[in-house]
Amino acid sequence: MSKRLLGLILVLPALATITLLFLVPLAASIIGAFEIEGSYGLGNFDKAFALYSQDILFTVVIVSLSTAIIGLVAIAIGGYLTLGENTLAVSILRWLYRWPLFIPFIVVGQVLRTFLAKNGMMNNTLVSLGVITPLEATSFLDWRGIVIAFVWKQAPFVALLVSGAMASLDRGTIEAARNLGASRLRILVEIVVPQVATTLIVGLVLSFVTMMSVLSVPLMINAQSPTMITADIAFRLNAYRDYGVANALGLISLLITASVAWIYLKHNVRSQA
Amino acid sequence: MKTLLNAVLVLGFAASPAAAAELTVVTAGDQNMVEYVSEYLGPLFEKENPGTKVRVVGTGPGDAGSQKILERFEAQHKAGSEKWDVDVAVVHEKFVGPMVQGGYLAAYRDKIPTGKLVTRSNADMALGTKVSGYVMPMFNSQTALAYNPALVPNPPKSYAELAEWAKENPKQFGYNGIKGGASGVSFVMGWIYAFGEGDAEKLQNGPFEEAETKKWDKALASLKHFTSNATLTPGNAGTLDLLSRGEIAIGPVWVDMFYSWQADGRLPPDLKLVLPAPGMPGQPMHYVIPAKSPNQELAEKFVALATSPKVQAEGIVKRFNWYPGIDAQHVQAELDEATWNKLFKDITPEDLAKYGKPFPIAPYNNAILEAYERQVTN
Amino acid sequence: MTSLATTTATARRLPRIDLWWVPRGLVLGLLAFAIFGPLTNLVLWTVAERWYFPHALPLEYGFSYWQRVFSPRGNAMESLANSVFVASLTVIVALALAVPAGYALARLRLPLRSLILVAFLIPQAFPNLPVYVNIARLFYGLGLNGTIPGVVLVHVTHGLVYAVWIATAAFSAIDRELEEAARSIGASALRTFRDVTLPLAAPGLMASAIFVFLESLDEFTGSFFVGAPDVNLLPLLLYTAGAGGNYQIASITALLLLVPSIGFMLVVERFLKADVLSRVGH
Repeated sequence: MSKRLLGLILVLPALATITLLFLVPLAASIIGAFEIEGSYGLGNFDKAFALYSQDILFTVVIVSLSTAIIGLVAIAIGGYLTLGENTLAVSILRWLYRWPLFIPFIVVGQVLRTFLAKNGMMNNTLVSLGVITPLEATSFLDWRGIVIAFVWKQAPFVALLVSGAMASLDRGTIEAARNLGASRLRILVEIVVPQVATTLIVGLVLSFVTMMSVLSVPLMINAQSPTMITADIAFRLNAYRDYGVANALGLISLLITASVAWIYLKHNVRSQA
Repeated sequence: MKTLLNAVLVLGFAASPAAAAELTVVTAGDQNMVEYVSEYLGPLFEKENPGTKVRVVGTGPGDAGSQKILERFEAQHKAGSEKWDVDVAVVHEKFVGPMVQGGYLAAYRDKIPTGKLVTRSNADMALGTKVSGYVMPMFNSQTALAYNPALVPNPPKSYAELAEWAKENPKQFGYNGIKGGASGVSFVMGWIYAFGEGDAEKLQNGPFEEAETKKWDKALASLKHFTSNATLTPGNAGTLDLLSRGEIAIGPVWVDMFYSWQADGRLPPDLKLVLPAPGMPGQPMHYVIPAKSPNQELAEKFVALATSPKVQAEGIVKRFNWYPGIDAQHVQAELDEATWNKLFKDITPEDLAKYGKPFPIAPYNNAILEAYERQVTN
Repeated sequence: MTSLATTTATARRLPRIDLWWVPRGLVLGLLAFAIFGPLTNLVLWTVAERWYFPHALPLEYGFSYWQRVFSPRGNAMESLANSVFVASLTVIVALALAVPAGYALARLRLPLRSLILVAFLIPQAFPNLPVYVNIARLFYGLGLNGTIPGVVLVHVTHGLVYAVWIATAAFSAIDRELEEAARSIGASALRTFRDVTLPLAAPGLMASAIFVFLESLDEFTGSFFVGAPDVNLLPLLLYTAGAGGNYQIASITALLLLVPSIGFMLVVERFLKADVLSRVGH
């Protein structure tokens, strides 16, 4: 049996599942994105861009920023777990960092809303510790709140993947570099991170996708405008029952994600060649 | 693997609709709506109809919750299901029109004894669509301004006074825009009623005329200015949340949510309500029965019970402090004066009659929202 | 002699440790505040009877909301059991589909490989709200609505992205030479896969299992459209309470969901001894 055929047979069950159960129903939505009162055209996209171009840009910026911070936090956590020399500190960190992973997004939205508000728990604690005065307390319930929520929830996800990959690296190279006097930061940047790049990027792409589709966080934390694409989709549907523009926005969101996924795939092809 | 598969099949079957007398109620709204049906109405109904069982599913608060019920009907309609999996649904006013137009609902009001107890016009028209016969109101809700008397001893009594007040107290007024729930939407509609150059009556009762939609530019421009001086809150619950932590002093809320938050200890007990002139919109939550409900008769009995004066008095007024769905005089007769008067602690019946408005009919509603999107947020 | 050496060693170590614990403690403390601050907030709300400004802590504590969640008619426990059962099945089905697919995507030459990988991303990447009418319609047509298999399938479509992508990464990180060595001493392809490749990829697969489990446990939209009213899952309660700002009930539900999540994670960790786990993703 040729490798191609075998490969296809192995992928087929999974591919068939999402094709039948998601892509086929999705097709109707995608067609709907081009439908305006019975005829076909780009009217829904025009409207989507006219009303929501700011929001689309905002979404891309927020999610990209969050992804970058998540990457840094995950590398820092994974790096310390791998290269940290104090076993107590390493095990404290290992115990500490995973908790947000288990909190559903809607609850993340809720706890951070009451935590980050101007008179929320964070500022209350800081004020009572004397770190800030009540007048200096500000609300983080805007774009910063969204970024904080995303990083809070997703960094442990990527850190879990990355720290595992780091731990499985060949200790020999690391020890050798250490013996030659390289600093741990340098080892992390020059030896460890390049070797776990694939895992890191997979984790980041998956985080990116997840954040693009989360509705509860922008709805519950961000009061301001602009807001995120998912909130606009929900609004289009709930307020106007306008599936056309909602689907157009969905397609735009999909294209943004797909282009990010492409970066990974490019990288992957290069590293395999 | 095989035993597991068997387990799945067994469970799958066990979970499929079993006894004939199981009544499924799907309700939009907050958790307290779900609890109202499961803890209060359900047991009451089961006691009166031995052998039946009521189960309830909540779909979430706000328009999103009703939208999910509408989509569920749509999906079963398009799939050609003969027997639907919902017997009674509780939805927001706005979604009743599309349900009637889609032909999803049964006309049952005339068949139940309590049908005659409703004369208010919002049981016949829902945002411009004729729905008489298809709906029974569960309760009437109203938006109003909630305020903290410690910070605002003399609350603004009208939109014009509010605009003045907000100018003097920057960021002390908060509302949730239009994307975070209907209390913000309602505030915007009230703004248009107050400052739009068109005829508010026409917005509420129709007919729809394109020319009317051109008369809001000034009102929206002033709203944009007003909003830049206000605090934006994340959602209906967000407004209440910021009120409760003293970050804003005044903001539009749903009266029913306001009382629920107070009862659940999330809002200081001394906050008060005021309904400003020329009025803010309110809306009923409606009971509807799908035409293809498998337990038509039982469903009708259920709604009859839920809209009986006794249940409206005990359940809606006494339990929640909500405005009843059926006509007030039938409910008032069931209650002592103190309980009844609690309903009107902050907002008098006269104010309610004068300033409690309906939402604009659907086409105006959408046009205002879209104009807001273009002119205020963009 | 020995005691002297120990004393000097301790003496030398002590100041160094003290010094390093300053930045370490600071960073770990900040991290702990960032993580447990919001979580404390969550836990406080589960027992707060009354809590509003200007009080930094609840005015009154109690368990009345626990009673509401666990009221006999609320069937929270049944929903929790359903949720765990569905999530476990989802993990099994998703991994059963993802392991061969991931292996093929990593190892075998496939036409349109990139496109296939992107396809698995779509159920997460296209915001689901406008699609669910069509999905529900399909499931009604197939008679899968209100059945456990139906809910599992919906959750699988969302979980597959994690399972397939991570499995692909896990398989492609394995050194081909190890497999070739096994083949050269006469092991069959299947045996090589079972005895060499799979154990090496196991940590990555287990990590993906955790994510699939969590995804299924928290999923609302599909659970409502396909599951309810016959198969009730806990996220329904979580969502109605959470979206409505019913902090107490949402917090209690979230706390309930923590139990199976962390339990599952511990089982996975126990199942994989530390040395294997440390290879997640590779």
